[in-house]
Amino acid sequence: MSLKSFIEVYGTFVAGITLFVFLLIFANNFASTANLLNVLKQVSFLSILAIGFTFALITSELDLSFANVCSLAAVVIGSLISTDTAWPAAVAAGIGVGIAAGLLNGLLVTVLKVPSLISTLGTASVANGLAFMITGGVAFVGRWDPNFLFLGRGKIGPVPVIILITVVLFFIALILSTQTRTGVHLQATGENEEAARRSGINTRNCKILGLTLSGLAAGLTAVFLVANLSSAAPQMAGDFLLNGIAATLLGMTMFTPAKPNILGTFVGALIIVCLSNGLILLGAQYYIQDIMLGIIIIVSVAVSASVLKRAAFAL
Amino acid sequence: MKTWKTLIAAAGIAGVTLGAGQASAFELGVVAFQMSAETQARCANTVGEEAAKLGWEAQVLNSNGALETHASQLDNLIQKGVDGLILCMSKPVQFDAQFEAAKSAGIPVITISSGASPHTLFDVTPNEYIMAAEAAIYLLGTINYEGNVLLQRFESNTGARIRGSILDAVLVENPTVKIVGEHSMARTKSWQDDVRNGMSALILQNAGNFDGVWASFDGQALIIDDLLKESGLNKGDVSLVSIDGGQEVYRRIKDPESMMTATIAIPFENMAKSAVTMMNQIAVEGKAKEELVPGPYLFIPATLVDKSNVDEFLK
Repeated sequence: MSLKSFIEVYGTFVAGITLFVFLLIFANNFASTANLLNVLKQVSFLSILAIGFTFALITSELDLSFANVCSLAAVVIGSLISTDTAWPAAVAAGIGVGIAAGLLNGLLVTVLKVPSLISTLGTASVANGLAFMITGGVAFVGRWDPNFLFLGRGKIGPVPVIILITVVLFFIALILSTQTRTGVHLQATGENEEAARRSGINTRNCKILGLTLSGLAAGLTAVFLVANLSSAAPQMAGDFLLNGIAATLLGMTMFTPAKPNILGTFVGALIIVCLSNGLILLGAQYYIQDIMLGIIIIVSVAVSASVLKRAAFAL
Repeated sequence: MKTWKTLIAAAGIAGVTLGAGQASAFELGVVAFQMSAETQARCANTVGEEAAKLGWEAQVLNSNGALETHASQLDNLIQKGVDGLILCMSKPVQFDAQFEAAKSAGIPVITISSGASPHTLFDVTPNEYIMAAEAAIYLLGTINYEGNVLLQRFESNTGARIRGSILDAVLVENPTVKIVGEHSMARTKSWQDDVRNGMSALILQNAGNFDGVWASFDGQALIIDDLLKESGLNKGDVSLVSIDGGQEVYRRIKDPESMMTATIAIPFENMAKSAVTMMNQIAVEGKAKEELVPGPYLFIPATLVDKSNVDEFLK
C-alpha cells in the first residue's frame, strides 16, 4: 500500500487517534474512567442513529428525516407511557413508528420515484407536525417505570447499559452490511444501481430496506433517549441531524474511502463526541463546537469528493 | 491529508483555550438552554462577565434548545469537574439525572428561571405569578375591561406557562373580555417563524375584531408588533402587553408607531449577578445556603414598564 493509499484509507482514523491522544494528554479528566464511559454513552445515542442513516446512504439514498422521526417516536412512547400503557408496548410502538416512517420513505422513493432528498424532507416535516400535534409542544415528563429508565440510564457494574446495547447493535449492523448477501446487495445497489439490477438484485427492495433500517434506528434511538432523559419532547433529537450526517460523512473518509461504511460511521461518531467532550474539558466556549463541526463536514465531503473524482478518472 | 491537517488544527484551536482553562482558581460552567432567545443570552453572558470580574474562568455553553445536547453538556461539565454550575432556563425535571450527578460530585448548581430541584441550591427567579397578574390586569385596563383579545402562549416553558394560567384566571373573573384567537408557540428551535406564522393568520382572521394582544414573552411581542403594523394598525388601535423587558421593547413602548403598550421588566442581568454573588458566597466563602436563601427560590422583583416610566429604563 502506498503512502497516499494509506492516508486515504486510514488518514482520518489516525487523525482521530491523534485527537484522542491529544485530549488524553491535555484535557484534564478526559482519561478518567467516568469520563470515558460518559463519552461512550454519548457516542451510543449518536452512533445508533448515524448507523441507520449509513444504511440508507449505502443504497445511495439520503434520509433527512431520521432526527424528526426519532423525536416523533419519542413522543409516541412518552404519550403512551403517560397514559399508563405498559412500557414494553410503548417501546414497541415507538420502534414501529420508526419502521413505518422508514418504510414510507422507501415507498416514496421507489414507487412514487420522489428523490430521497425531497421525500425525506417531506417526511421530516410530517413527523415534526405529528410530534407537535401529539404533545401540543409540551414535553411528557414523569411516571416512568424504573425498568424502562434502566434502558437509558441503567448500569451493569460501572458500565451504562446503553453502551452494551450499542456494541451489540453495532456488530449486528457490521455483519449485516459486510458479511451477508443482503449487505452485498445493498452495497451493489448504492454503487451502481443499473448494474446491480441487471445482475438480478432487487434494487427497489434494497432501497426500501436501507431507508427502513434508518427509520428503525431512529425508533430505537428514541427509546434510549426517552429512557435517558425521562422525558419526551417534539424536538428532542434536533441536534442529531447535523451530528449524524457529520459522523457518516466523516466515516466515508476512512476504511473504504468515499463509501459509507458502518465501522467508519462509528469511528466518525466517536471523533465528533470526543471533540465535543474535549472542547468542553479544555474550556472552549459554545461557538467553537459549531465551528469545528462545520469544518469537519466540509473537509469530509471535500476528501470524499476528491477520492470519488479520482476513481472516476481511473475508470 | 487535508482531513489530518484539519483535525490537528482543530486540536490546536482547542489547545489555545487550554491555558486559560487551567489558570483560573474557580471554574464555572454556564449553560443556557437556547441562546437564540435574547433573555437567555443576556442571562448567560452576564453570568460570564460577572464571573470574569471575580477572576473566575467561566465557560459558557449553548444547548441550542435540544434536550440531548443540554444533557450531554451537563455531563461533560460534571466530568470536567467544574467548581460550580449556573444554568439559564434549564429544566430540572428532564435533567434530574444530571443534577443528581452534579450533587453527588459535590458541584453546587444554581439555576436561573428554571424551577426548583432537590439537587440544586436554588432557582433565581422573578415571581411569575405576581408578574403575570400585573401584566394581565394591565392589559385589561388598557381596553377598559371589555372587548376581544388575541393570545400568544408558550406552554413548554414553566414561567411562560404560569403567565398563561394566571391570565386565564384573570379572564375568568372578567367575562366581558373574550379570547377570539390564540396560538401556542411550540417550536423552540424556530420559534420566531412559529410565532410569525401563527399570529399572522390570527390577525388576518380577526381583523377589526380585537382590542388587545397578550404575548407570553417579549420576543413574541416584537414579532406580533411588526405584524400588527404590517396589517395597517396604528398606536392606540390595539394594546400589546407582554413580559420580560429589554431595550428594544422599551424603545417600542415609546415609539409612536408601535402597538407595544407595556412589559414587565425582569432584571435578567441582576438575576445573573445574584447567581454569581451567591455562588461565590456559598462555594468560595463557605457560607451555608440556608443563611442566604431559605427556600428553593431566590425571588428578584420585577417592574411594570409603560409610557409613564419607560424613560427610566431606556439607555
